[in-house]
Amino acid sequence: CAYLLRYPLYQLGNPQLRIFRPSWFLTLVRPGKEQPQDTVQFRIPMEMTKYDIKNYLEKIYNVPVGVVRTRIQFGSNKKRNHLNQKVKQPDYKVAYVQLALGQTFTFPDIFPEKERAPAEGSMEEMQEKFMEDEKQRQKLDPRRGGVTEWFGL
Amino acid sequence: MGSATSKMAASSSAGRVLTLCKQFQNVFRISSATNARQGAVSSAKCQTSLLREKSPIVTPSWSNPISSPGQYRALHTTISRRGLEEFFDSPENWGEANVKSGAPWTAKQLRTKSNEDLHKLWYVLLKEKNMLLTLEQEAKRQRVQMPSPERLRKVERSMIRLETVAKERESALRLLQTGQEKGRPGAWRRNIFGYVYWYRFKEYAIPWYMNRRYKRKRFYTPKFVEPHIRLRIENYLRERARNENLKKRRLTKLQERFPQIKAPAS
Repeated sequence: CAYLLRYPLYQLGNPQLRIFRPSWFLTLVRPGKEQPQDTVQFRIPMEMTKYDIKNYLEKIYNVPVGVVRTRIQFGSNKKRNHLNQKVKQPDYKVAYVQLALGQTFTFPDIFPEKERAPAEGSMEEMQEKFMEDEKQRQKLDPRRGGVTEWFGL
Repeated sequence: MGSATSKMAASSSAGRVLTLCKQFQNVFRISSATNARQGAVSSAKCQTSLLREKSPIVTPSWSNPISSPGQYRALHTTISRRGLEEFFDSPENWGEANVKSGAPWTAKQLRTKSNEDLHKLWYVLLKEKNMLLTLEQEAKRQRVQMPSPERLRKVERSMIRLETVAKERESALRLLQTGQEKGRPGAWRRNIFGYVYWYRFKEYAIPWYMNRRYKRKRFYTPKFVEPHIRLRIENYLRERARNENLKKRRLTKLQERFPQIKAPAS
């Protein structure tokens, strides 16, 4: 685990530090501002450094990494709740990773519209049927040809 | 870019051929794109090393026009196709409302596994958790419900249990080999405020008597703190007596109102 950990002091000639079972999790996010084609944006834990991200992606995900730039995003402390107490949104670190070897990455559309037929005998089917019946009832008489009820007897 | 590609080419003969004849690069790219796609779809367990040998050298995106739209994957162009794709679910599950998932790992099941298996499982769980976190964030961004959020909790619990099993094994080994109970040395110490706590040692490059910041920390209570400690103890005893009286009063009131009640064993 990465928390409650004190890494051994490094002095010249010490063995290479190895972390088993790292408890750091990265979140790939869609960039808010337009980023160049080779840049991937991550939300990372505060304790990670640029070298950590480079090694993480190269060793675990086998992604060739060029440059990594990080910044800390301040979470706002301005909003207040119903008791007029300040509510703090958590701070987080953002990493901009540029891929090596001329690769590109575009954030995909993970929630495409899918045609979903509801299962037989389920709640969704009954609800959809009910909604259709209601809409049918709300429609005017088709024999009136689109004219509203305001006119007529 | 040229030196990098030449290094990669040295590992595979196909690459060496490609770097020699640039005009055949387009042909190879399309054919290998199909190969790699089939490889990715066939099984989740295919080795990245195999794919790397099949696929050609990557060309920059600007020289890769959408020649065959059926085979073009709008994600990215990589040598190992399972790089950043592992941050997302398999494309069949995109847009679903519910994604089926099994039960979390129990400690009992994990204890039967070898250390190597546990190590590999840790990274499988890590990648799964990363994928779920990206999904959660994207769902928040698109203002859509995340499909089956209980997967996150399951993965977290599995990881905690894995950690406990690994720690058990490590501490057992340590006890057998060295006789030490704790991995990190420490001692019971009293701080300035009179509290006794387990102080865990930290590694320094210099001895403690040369460390000015450490000497300012003072692991003893001065004489003038003792009356404050006494007041603290009095407060604690008062609060404890108050809580016990409250419980007794509640019980007696209940007994009055409902005489048939049996006093709970506490």
